[in-house]
Amino acid sequence: MRRAFSLMQTRLLLSTLFLFGAVAFSQTIIPEWFEELPKSPAGTQFAVGYSGKYVDRSLAREAAASLAISNMAKQRETRLVFELEEFADGRFRLMNPSFELSYDETTILNVLDNYTVIDSSITNDGYFVLIAFPKIETRIRFSSNDKEWGERPIWTKKLPAAKHYNFGVGIVSNYSSWVRAWKDADEYARFDLGKNIKIEARSIHTTKRDNQYIIESKIIHQSFDEKIANSEIVSRWYDTKNDVYYSLCRQLR
Amino acid sequence: MKKLIVIALLIPIAFMLMDCGGKPKAKMNDIPEWYLNPPMAEDAIYEAGDAAKQSMGLAKEAADARARDAVSRTIEVKVSNMLKNFMQESGIGADAEALEFTSSVSKQVSNNVLNGARIVKREMKTEGAMYHAYSLAEYNLNSLIQETVDAAKKQKALYNEAKANLSFDDLEKEIQKLDAVGK
Repeated sequence: MRRAFSLMQTRLLLSTLFLFGAVAFSQTIIPEWFEELPKSPAGTQFAVGYSGKYVDRSLAREAAASLAISNMAKQRETRLVFELEEFADGRFRLMNPSFELSYDETTILNVLDNYTVIDSSITNDGYFVLIAFPKIETRIRFSSNDKEWGERPIWTKKLPAAKHYNFGVGIVSNYSSWVRAWKDADEYARFDLGKNIKIEARSIHTTKRDNQYIIESKIIHQSFDEKIANSEIVSRWYDTKNDVYYSLCRQLR
Repeated sequence: MKKLIVIALLIPIAFMLMDCGGKPKAKMNDIPEWYLNPPMAEDAIYEAGDAAKQSMGLAKEAADARARDAVSRTIEVKVSNMLKNFMQESGIGADAEALEFTSSVSKQVSNNVLNGARIVKREMKTEGAMYHAYSLAEYNLNSLIQETVDAAKKQKALYNEAKANLSFDDLEKEIQKLDAVGK
């Protein structure tokens, strides 16, 4: 009985260790094009896909490519529905943001039919794929190797200003999986871009004052429902010290 | 064994006592200058918003929303105010005690579609276990002017279209009249 228990304990320990190894907690080494999306040739677009560590490398590649394809589809055109409500009445405060993202099936089928893998990389943390749409016949060579995260870019604090582009920043923290964290940071960056373009803002603020108290109540409602085309995640930065993930989304006006 | 139980009981009490100080306040040095004194410009409105939440994502969303809400309220605010004053006196002669009670209620309503209200600056600070997000929204007044011009153009286009339709309808009526005469 005791032997069986210790065997079970060992198995549990081994499987836990395996899980810890498989799920990457943070990310240290990345290909350069994951941090900064390279400029694509005219008429084509680049998109990045990534996956965590897999025992079977081909599965990792498949997962990364699949994500790159869906990222490309979102990049081409996506419908974003955002709604935020905040209620506060002096006693309690409630906030409920909701994010809905959808894209057309034909868009993803088009990408599936006509994409090429431009570059891929395996690091200690996972698998990375860079794809191009539509297909590029000529091979593009990237001179850079995998690298560590660079210095904090300015756009993490100050939104870039460019006449012909709209921008949005996504920020997430405290994720156990870096893959999930980047997925969310990328999506939030796209929503942030949408909010920067157009948003309906409604609110009611009331203040009641008497000799003793000031009670402030408010209802804030903000929303948008827009189709966003040609939005690319052009930069990413991971704050290794504070475990914060930043994505920058850009759209040609 | 008893010692263990005592320690086990003391640990949560110690944590509770540590937590009794209330919410940690932001250090003044940590608060961005642009939050305290938002920039001023002739062709843009700047408004700041902040929020402290346990989730960084929520803190950012709330701070952004509050900054944009401030912009929206600056553009168009319908304000209604109500003020009530009550005075009471109790007691006799010099011992009378006057009690003044003032109550006021103000209500602000705003409803706007903001085109190009961008969050141009953002800072994220930690306060204990909380994330404190500061956002600065910028609303370019040129876009507001352009929007007004576009709306006017749209109105003009609608007017022209209606006018064109009216003429066509008139023409059709004339043709019908001619047809009737022919029969």
